[in-house]
Amino acid sequence: MTEKNGHTIEVENLTKRYGDLVAVDDISFTVSTGEVFALLGPNGAGKTTTVEIIDTIRPPTSGRVFLLGMDVTKKKLDIVRRIGVLPQGFNSFDRITVRETLQYYSRLFSCRNSDIAGLIELVNLEDKANEQYKNLSGGLRQRLGIAIALVNDPEVVFLDEPTTGLDPRARREVWEVLQGLKQEGKTVFLTTHYMEEAELLADTVAIISKGTIIAMGSPSELIENNTNYLVLTLQSADGIVMEIIRTMGFEPVLDNDKNIKTRVEHTDDVQKILSAIKDAGAFYLGLDVRKPNLEEVFLKLTGAAFHDGHVVGGGAV
Amino acid sequence: MNLRVVGANLYVKLLGVYREKTTMFFTLAFPIILILVFGTIFMSQDNAGFHLCVQDLDQTKSSIESVKELEVNGKFKITRVDPGISATQYIRVNKVNLVLVIPKGFEKSLLRRKFFNDYKSSVTITYVYDPSSSSVPTKMEILNGVLAGINQEMTRIPPFVRSVDKSILTRKYRFIEYFIPGIIAMSVMTLSLFGTVNLNTELRQKGIIRKLCTTPITHTDWILSDILYQFTIAVVSTAAMLLVSYAVYDVKLHLDAWLLAFILLDVFAFVGIGMILTRFVKEAQSAAAAANAISFPMMFLSGSFFPIELMPEFLQKFAKTLPLYYVNEGLRAAMVFEDNLAALHDAAIIGVFAAVVFILGVIATRWEEGQ
Repeated sequence: MTEKNGHTIEVENLTKRYGDLVAVDDISFTVSTGEVFALLGPNGAGKTTTVEIIDTIRPPTSGRVFLLGMDVTKKKLDIVRRIGVLPQGFNSFDRITVRETLQYYSRLFSCRNSDIAGLIELVNLEDKANEQYKNLSGGLRQRLGIAIALVNDPEVVFLDEPTTGLDPRARREVWEVLQGLKQEGKTVFLTTHYMEEAELLADTVAIISKGTIIAMGSPSELIENNTNYLVLTLQSADGIVMEIIRTMGFEPVLDNDKNIKTRVEHTDDVQKILSAIKDAGAFYLGLDVRKPNLEEVFLKLTGAAFHDGHVVGGGAV
Repeated sequence: MNLRVVGANLYVKLLGVYREKTTMFFTLAFPIILILVFGTIFMSQDNAGFHLCVQDLDQTKSSIESVKELEVNGKFKITRVDPGISATQYIRVNKVNLVLVIPKGFEKSLLRRKFFNDYKSSVTITYVYDPSSSSVPTKMEILNGVLAGINQEMTRIPPFVRSVDKSILTRKYRFIEYFIPGIIAMSVMTLSLFGTVNLNTELRQKGIIRKLCTTPITHTDWILSDILYQFTIAVVSTAAMLLVSYAVYDVKLHLDAWLLAFILLDVFAFVGIGMILTRFVKEAQSAAAAANAISFPMMFLSGSFFPIELMPEFLQKFAKTLPLYYVNEGLRAAMVFEDNLAALHDAAIIGVFAAVVFILGVIATRWEEGQ
């Protein structure tokens, strides 16, 4: 069986309830063949529930999901042979080495010609091939998890928060592997709460909040459609600068690095603010004017979640 | 069923336990420690009698000879208590459980009975005892037997009813040799039940089950590989137990295919029960408690440690509903009595039970989450 209309995944009116809690609320979307699709949302938004329904780990309460043209609730065994999954919080057998783990999963898929050495090379684990899983760091474990997800040469790869809990360096190493998958033309379904990750890797981003998809499109489309302002950043500014900008009717905020960020509508506003600071005799060490990024779009769209403190990242305007 | 998948699972599990030396050690050590502890207890019971304190208030030739008779016929190790002290006080101070008191005038009464045929002449031996001690009734029973023998001899009439021992076995077995099959059955049960419950709850908690859920492995493949894994461990553990009991206690039991058959059936039954438990118990700690709740009554009521004939009748009936009882009986039939028919009967019962719980285990196994 193959996908319909070039769509590898079709989700129609999907709902998942746990008792009174509605984790996923009547969502619909499609994922095209060969694209990297990111489901972006804060913790508890319904990302993992959605991906686990699509990759057959959980049954839906209602709605229909077609993966590679097959109903996920009816063709599980046929589907799992053609997909690769890195589940959230991936773990493996402590005392088994990287190479043995890949050989094990290869046998589960009855793959006679798995290129274990090639997979180890793909995820840059050559030096750790004979290391037991319990001795691997978080980043190395995630890379092994990705290699396992590829052991059956799947048509679709599901990666549920592949970089959560990793340090920035390990996160970048995983991104490099994911960019390799993108170049290979695999369809990749990614869930993340890192904006930078979605912006860097995804062709299409769906923003999910409280079980509902609130926006969807390419990162540039999302930015274009949801923002009509610029962000002025003043670095190491004098304490009085916040007050000056505020009296001009803007809403400056202090980010984690003590930079003042202000949302302005036109470049003329930037000129006015800089003149006012100069006239007041205040100072700043550097400035930056740019278009908003996906993080700011995300925070604008999921403002409530931001105020609840669920979002990873910060310094948005 | 996919044999390649079953083999892959079996290999990974065996490799894991082989590399986890501590687990490997305790898996083998637990039944061996049981054998050594109970073996030592039973061997000393086979070879020695009870300890008995005797206070001879008569201090005559006859009373001294009677005490010697107790030593020889009753197989008692005698400690003589000073006639000048209170027997009750002696028990309290010396923490002994029974003092036999021979009264003053013992010899005089004995001579009157023996030489003057004075049938009104008698003596009263007193047992001063601590009722909280469990071995007192057994001691009293043996003492009463010895005293009955003495009374019989005094009548000078040969007894009408005599008894003779005739064992159904061709050679004399010691208690430890009846005990070993029970320990094998019990330890295979423990390994299979706890092994299955612990392994599956651990894999579920670590998220490995969630990953396996996205592979083509079926529940049947998974449970079969678990059974083969537990069977391999059980065979290694049984071999270690038999070697230790042979080396330390010179235990020689009949070994044939029945032993492997009963180990396999034992494993099948308790892996099945373990899979059913795993369905309902999510946390590792609750899993251990649930496995204990199943295994402890089974361990003590099914005749692994002591014969069920010692238990009240209703418990004996209950014991016969426990699967481990049939493994115990079957192993004893095969290894001690060499009774193939009895072994076949027990194997059939445990086989049907194992098949049912295996099927229920497969049905109960759920990997998909949030049903």
